[in-house]
Amino acid sequence: MTVHALWVISKAGGLVFSRSYSDALPPLPVNTILTLAGILHGIHAITAKLTPSPIPGQPVGGLESFEAEGWGGKVFLTATGTKFVVLHSIPHPGLDDLLRRIYEIYSDAVMKNPFHTLEMPINSSLFETRLQTLVASVNV
Amino acid sequence: MTIFSLYIFDRHCECIYYQDWHRTRSARPPPPPSFKAGVHRLPPPSSQAQHGNDNTTTTGRESIFSDNNNRSSLQSQINGGGSGGGMNGLGSGVGGSSTRGPKGLPFDEEAKLVYGVILSLRNMVKKLSGREEAFTSYSTSQYKLHLYETITGYKFVLLSDPSSDSLRFVLRQLYVGPFVDYVVRNPLVVMDSREEGIDNDQFRAAVDRHMRGLSMFGT
Repeated sequence: MTVHALWVISKAGGLVFSRSYSDALPPLPVNTILTLAGILHGIHAITAKLTPSPIPGQPVGGLESFEAEGWGGKVFLTATGTKFVVLHSIPHPGLDDLLRRIYEIYSDAVMKNPFHTLEMPINSSLFETRLQTLVASVNV
Repeated sequence: MTIFSLYIFDRHCECIYYQDWHRTRSARPPPPPSFKAGVHRLPPPSSQAQHGNDNTTTTGRESIFSDNNNRSSLQSQINGGGSGGGMNGLGSGVGGSSTRGPKGLPFDEEAKLVYGVILSLRNMVKKLSGREEAFTSYSTSQYKLHLYETITGYKFVLLSDPSSDSLRFVLRQLYVGPFVDYVVRNPLVVMDSREEGIDNDQFRAAVDRHMRGLSMFGT
């Protein structure tokens, strides 16, 4: 599996972090990614409404993953509404585990940082280096 | 494994065909102003539990539905408006489930949302990959949507349960088989009309047969 990129979207739909980890997908200007993240946030809400057969007693969730022909995206929604989006190659063994570990790093390096403001872009070198190590261990 | 519903959109962003199988939250029939003939065979609103704000338009809707689709409304009246609803699989709802549970969106709004979502995701995929790459599917915890787009701009959309593999080959089979046989080669169907859908008995029956023959159709 190759991780192409990682986005972190705040609960309001704003992009607070984005890094590209491979050159399989062309580099995009930050503004474009910002727009796409906003669109993804909207799509997430709409897809939940389209559920054809809600199973009683189970929460109706939104978009979890999408696929193109050669790559896909996985959306991990935390309990607090923050979304982690990983763009990855197909097939993708161990993707769920990777997302959990990214969330762990986020909790450790960002949420425990007293200088971090919620809903604001993440500027943390610790977060970035730990992500870099994690992704490097996954990317082939 | 279950198949929920099938939508076909034309290149004018219009939904021209709809059929469903195992939905527990079925789409509500659209209000008369946005009703389009030949797209779906949802039971007329009278057979469903009405909410207070819908009552005013009930009679208008019923006449529109029976004008355009004698057969389906007749059938559901025979079925006692809520006990059956099976209609030999040609209509919506299995085992009367359409009258239970929470009501879904009106059909026209639902179709617009489906189209909006696939269009946005398609553009997003194109932008991200920087070339003409097709968006194929997305999934949530409760369903999976498959998209197959033809060169002529028809979009075949299938909703199935989330655990299923890619079903694009099924959509392609529908396009190559029933769609070409009973829609493209059918002189009575007006393609590209924008005014009405492509629904006809042969096509609906052929699609139904095809889907029921699949191993992932479910019970």
